[in-house]
Amino acid sequence: MTLKSELHSHVGSLRRYALVLTRDPVAADDLVQETLVKAIAKADTFQPGTDLRPWLFRILHNTHVSDLRRARTRNDAAADLPEPLARECQHTQLELKQVLGALDQLPEAQRLPIILIALREMSYTEAARTLDVPLGTFMSRLARGRAALRGIVQGMGSGKLSLLKRKGEES
Amino acid sequence: MNPPDRRDPADDMELMAYVDGTLPPEDMARVEARLARDPEARDSVAQWRHFDNLLHESARSADTLPPNLKIAALERQLAARLERRRMRAFLLGPRLRQLAASVAIFAAGWGAHAFYGTGSSMMAELPPGFVGPTLAGHYAYVHAAHQRAEFGGDQMTEALAWLSNEMQQRIESPRLERLGYEIDSARLVVVDNEPYAIFYYRNAEDERVTVSMTPRRATQPDYVFRVARFEDDRMAYWSGDQLNYTVVASGGADTLTSLAAAVQE
Repeated sequence: MTLKSELHSHVGSLRRYALVLTRDPVAADDLVQETLVKAIAKADTFQPGTDLRPWLFRILHNTHVSDLRRARTRNDAAADLPEPLARECQHTQLELKQVLGALDQLPEAQRLPIILIALREMSYTEAARTLDVPLGTFMSRLARGRAALRGIVQGMGSGKLSLLKRKGEES
Repeated sequence: MNPPDRRDPADDMELMAYVDGTLPPEDMARVEARLARDPEARDSVAQWRHFDNLLHESARSADTLPPNLKIAALERQLAARLERRRMRAFLLGPRLRQLAASVAIFAAGWGAHAFYGTGSSMMAELPPGFVGPTLAGHYAYVHAAHQRAEFGGDQMTEALAWLSNEMQQRIESPRLERLGYEIDSARLVVVDNEPYAIFYYRNAEDERVTVSMTPRRATQPDYVFRVARFEDDRMAYWSGDQLNYTVVASGGADTLTSLAAAVQE
């Protein structure tokens, strides 16, 4: 794979990650643009021979965290939630909103590992490198985050929704 | 029947690996057996997987967003920067960069086109970084073997006379002094029986310029003036009536054009 095609693939991944982080297509593209501008400025710090993807994701991650700190409050973009590709229905949308709402209640340290792994584009090691934490710390945060997410969603009544969904899928 | 495990599923890395598809095949049967007898673990796995699927589908919706032209332009810029970065790391460390730029062009006898023009095939599979400095060192060694004479900056009159005699051409000073540069040295290098008069200059900011002149053979094409880029340096080359010229320097195309104009005058 040439560097150009590799980079193009990574930019697609960045857009996916940014979309889940921001919940808004315009804000996601802004975040990706900002990331690429920073990456261009930092190109000389990239170590050839190392994996480009964690390097890019780390820049996006740091940019996002900085933006959040600047904004202080997260935009309430629930109305602009991206719609799932498969089986679009009100039920899935509602579930997604609940999961994203639950994610928002998690600390950043637990939220980001869950999102990174859900993208299914990185190994645990790469994701840990992206967040600049040791692998053990990453795994621990992922595990605690998933447990907490489950608890929050169950508290929201998502269990019922899941049951309904499964019934709907079977029919 | 085995009792259900009392471990907290959240602390179970095996279950996470199972959900994320990273569990080694040899552990798969054991974990699936555990799931069969442990409803709590089974429920955790189902929920994690469900949340993961929701987030994954949500992320994939980015693929349906319209193309963003600004992102595409930035992507191209970044690709170009990273290509240069890779080439730099391949070729040399910072201390050897100037050396290799001139040595590779003049000593190896390849010429800029041969060396850099096939960059795509070279970059398809780059050797590790430690090869670059070795390569530059090798060329410096080769370069030294091809060098026939060297003159200090204060010996330019003798140097020009000697070079003209050796090259059977009138060799004139590049006269970059009017642009604020001072001559460091002049050398005669012979590669494949072709003599190259090479002049090294630098200015007060320690910006360095290398100029070469080599006889233009009747069989050679007439190269029109062209500025090419390599890393932070640029090189200008062109054919004169009797000589082929090359100028290598850092800076933009304007700088190279000014330097080339001074050399050509």
